[in-house]
Amino acid sequence: MREVVVAELDSPERVVQAARSVRALGYRRVEAFVPFPIPELDAVLGIRRTRLPYLVLLAGFAGAALALLIQWWTNAIDYPINVGARPLNSLPTDMLIVFESTVLLSAGMAFATVLLGSRLPRLHDPIFDLPGFERTSLDRYWIVIGDAYDTDSTVLDEALGLLDGELARLGAVVTRARIGEQAP
Amino acid sequence: MSAATSNAPRVRDDADHEPPVLEHAGSLADLTDELLDKVVRPPRWMGPALLVTFLGTLMLFAAIAYTVTTGIGVWGNNIPVAWAFGITNFVWWIGIGHAGTFISAFLLLLEQRWRASINRFAEAMTLFAVMQAALFPLLHLGRPWFFYWLIPYPSTMKIWPQFRSALTWDVAAVMTYFTVSLLFWYLGLVPDLAVMRDRAPGLLRRRVYALFALGWKGSVHDWHRWRIGYGLLGGIATPLVVSVHSIVSSDFAIANLPGWHSLIFPPYFVAGAIYSGFAMVLTLMIPARRLYRIEHIITTRHLDSMAKMLLVTGWIVLYSYAVEAWSAWYSGDRYEAYTNLVMRPFGPYALVYWVVITCNCVTPQLFWWRRARRSALALWVASLFIQVGMWAERFMLIVTSQSRDFLPSSWGLYRPTSVDVALLSGTVFFFLFLFLLFLRFVPFIPIAEVKELKHGLEREREPEEQVHA
Repeated sequence: MREVVVAELDSPERVVQAARSVRALGYRRVEAFVPFPIPELDAVLGIRRTRLPYLVLLAGFAGAALALLIQWWTNAIDYPINVGARPLNSLPTDMLIVFESTVLLSAGMAFATVLLGSRLPRLHDPIFDLPGFERTSLDRYWIVIGDAYDTDSTVLDEALGLLDGELARLGAVVTRARIGEQAP
Repeated sequence: MSAATSNAPRVRDDADHEPPVLEHAGSLADLTDELLDKVVRPPRWMGPALLVTFLGTLMLFAAIAYTVTTGIGVWGNNIPVAWAFGITNFVWWIGIGHAGTFISAFLLLLEQRWRASINRFAEAMTLFAVMQAALFPLLHLGRPWFFYWLIPYPSTMKIWPQFRSALTWDVAAVMTYFTVSLLFWYLGLVPDLAVMRDRAPGLLRRRVYALFALGWKGSVHDWHRWRIGYGLLGGIATPLVVSVHSIVSSDFAIANLPGWHSLIFPPYFVAGAIYSGFAMVLTLMIPARRLYRIEHIITTRHLDSMAKMLLVTGWIVLYSYAVEAWSAWYSGDRYEAYTNLVMRPFGPYALVYWVVITCNCVTPQLFWWRRARRSALALWVASLFIQVGMWAERFMLIVTSQSRDFLPSSWGLYRPTSVDVALLSGTVFFFLFLFLLFLRFVPFIPIAEVKELKHGLEREREPEEQVHA
């Protein structure tokens, strides 16, 4: 079980403003849930750029190396076939499969890191316990303050008080919620 | 809209006569529900259409079973024409697939907004077209159950595939292409499957969509990663579009036959692929937007842009034909000259040649006129012509070169058998069947992306509203 303070908003502009206010009040553990990408929120919430591209680059190199190695070893070393005295280790013809393998491994890595980085796939997420959360994919924008186990209730009480005043003018509904069924 | 823009500074010169990318006046919730409604309440024609295409698919599988159990002698192929319908169909289908990746990857990198509403559609078309394409080389192996011999694995026979052969390149290219297209399509689909999970009627349906949505929750961290990963996949898939048909064209270009042994083949094949692919997108999209009444989401602007793409790629294809003929003459090689300048236009397959010229070179010239570009009917008919033309082009390239090569004593003609025809038409049915299933069960207009587009358009229109605070 964990306790959070949530603010429910109804437009992308307002969620950006609300996030700005919340950060200005000094809260660090803030997450927002929105129906489509809003790149401005990344900066407001202080999200550091993901390192995913470097992993993809590494996977690409691995794919290239693997393809080169397989083609060289199978065709030039382990099972050489003389085709009209053409070179056994033939880089120009190897390059096509090197390219395909680079693409395959880097694409697989991009896909896997997007999912695994978001801790997907999973059957359930504690945030789904939030009443009305299923409207997120439709037209609801949420700001959630508080993290799994280390936020004590006095901090949340304070947050509730501060935010209610701050965000009410944006039409936000600020409440306290319990999510996650299991105790830590 | 004209009233709103009259005082504002012009963003783009052509804003006045360019039709809008999206015409939707309601809220984001209305838009979402409208798009969902298309999926959860299928139109009445869906059942009968599925049935007809399913029967056609059965015919395909009957033809495949007959081919596999009897042997590929039931096809019209023989020496000298050893590659005929099978390879023609393969090249044609895989070419059709190219537009999907082009629309989703290339146009994503170029930040073309009109791609947002049609990319899922086009990507699905790619997947299904590549599936049809992959059938043909498999069957053409003769013993398709040994297809894994093409993959390098440590076998007890102690032999390895020969990587200096175009056949192994094809395997790598087609398998990579299918996998990457699938990943790209699915990654884009995950947030929309989450919409289905949250909004679809009925518990069972929600549960099934929930499984496929993988637990997507839409946090800003998730979207951040998704956006960068999706863009990266687009960047990776872009050179892939160019590579696949280049590799397919190498099957021909590295052979010595007159009419095949040509350096222009890779770019020529890629242009032809994108050309036929755009035609297929139009063939499917125009009836779908009408039947589903989504003309305000897939607008005249989309038709106009696609028609321009047809015109551009059509001209690249026309230019390639010209270069091919010119270099055949300029090479001084009598066999090249005979194949390109005599055999193809005036030989036994002359009819095919003139169908190619009419369909591929004459038809797209229609799109110099704006009225034709914006007429759904004209575009749809033209798209059918172009597909016939592109199929005929591949048939012409593949069959004429083999039927008359260097020695008149080894000349011979090819005639398709009924099994050949059943396989070709069967894949068309199978393709349509898969496509209808896609329309039936998957949000075929990208919901999150169209919402983002709508939001972006609204902000541009009313920039003063969000400046306060």
